[in-house]
Amino acid sequence: MSEIKLVFSNYKYVALSLAIFVGLLFPLLLISEYIFLEPYFIAHVNSGTELGLALIVIMVGLAGLVLPMNIYRIKMLQTSKKKMSGGVLGSMIGSAAGACGCGPVGFAVFSTFGSLGATASAFLTNYEIPIRITAIAILALTLYTTSKSIQKECQINLKNQNE
Amino acid sequence: MIKYLISNDVDMGGKRTKNTSRMTSKKGKTNFIFPVIIAIVAVSSIAFLAMSFTDDSSIDTSKQYGTVDTSLGSPILGSSDAPVTIIEFGDYQCPHCKKWFFDTKPIIVENLIDTGKVNLQFLDIAVLGKDSLSASAATYCAEDQEKYWEYHSTLYSNQLGVDNGWANTTNLKKYASNLGLDMDLFANCLDSGNYLQRVLKNTDVSRNVGFSGVTAFMIIGPNNQQDLIIGAQPYEVFKEVIEPML
Repeated sequence: MSEIKLVFSNYKYVALSLAIFVGLLFPLLLISEYIFLEPYFIAHVNSGTELGLALIVIMVGLAGLVLPMNIYRIKMLQTSKKKMSGGVLGSMIGSAAGACGCGPVGFAVFSTFGSLGATASAFLTNYEIPIRITAIAILALTLYTTSKSIQKECQINLKNQNE
Repeated sequence: MIKYLISNDVDMGGKRTKNTSRMTSKKGKTNFIFPVIIAIVAVSSIAFLAMSFTDDSSIDTSKQYGTVDTSLGSPILGSSDAPVTIIEFGDYQCPHCKKWFFDTKPIIVENLIDTGKVNLQFLDIAVLGKDSLSASAATYCAEDQEKYWEYHSTLYSNQLGVDNGWANTTNLKKYASNLGLDMDLFANCLDSGNYLQRVLKNTDVSRNVGFSGVTAFMIIGPNNQQDLIIGAQPYEVFKEVIEPML
């Protein structure tokens, strides 16, 4: 928790986190048909889709935490970028899970990627929930390792300064 | 009035900080910022594509039934004299279509179709997988025995995903058998691919309307005024679009 407080004591990281959260949440809700823009803006949760919505919010929330923390870690502590890839990977996997072929991007996917797009779309549709859970697991693991890394590296930096 | 048959026949399962002295190099910075930006831009682009693909200008106003040729579509559900028609564009393997079928359609049937204000016609967009085509063709085989809407309902009730077996030929025949259809007629119809061209033509018509996804509806009023509703939207949206047309 102290690592999260440390990172987000800088308002630039709060702003980055909010930008990531909103920038991912809005398109994902649109793709997954929780919000509609036509004929007018409306939000609607069909019965039985509550779990999918909760997973999207958790996933986007974690991405909003993990990505700025990794940027902080790399920029401020000059550490490796390996852990960053976990956050990006988790976000991308989770985002793709919502791109169901029958959602508002279906025709764009089929037109652009042809039969490969259709096959990928079928997979993403059939395994939407497990894919999102996997993305959340990757993001949670990245959050844990990033927090540990910040904690450890801050202590090392503090020791170096004291010496 | 049409009754919906609900059955489950198959068990299937930054900005850069000022602290640049701590940075190793400019290249290093871009290395980790780029994936984040690319991820956000990718998702945002998909959403933008979704909106931009919804283009009413592609509608050809010279065609029949509003602007859509529904001559090869489903039989009409409700009164053919109803002032307003809903054309539903759907794929039997589409989860959003299934959600609409269970959440919104029953209320539309009760409040608008059964009261004679609205009728509904289904037009296939069999694009999600190979089984989409045979599932749609099977509904027309059922229509030959005057069981189109019953079979249509059975398909959505049994939908389990895309191309994962629930709509293979064996199961399509099983649904027909459960509905009490003449199995010789149905199997001959399905195996001979009698209605595949019809489904493909409907898919072409549906794609040419100009929307971006599979779940879509065109509402056609008494003076041929029309509105598009994209996605598995709730009853309230349909009510707000339809009521001014009545």
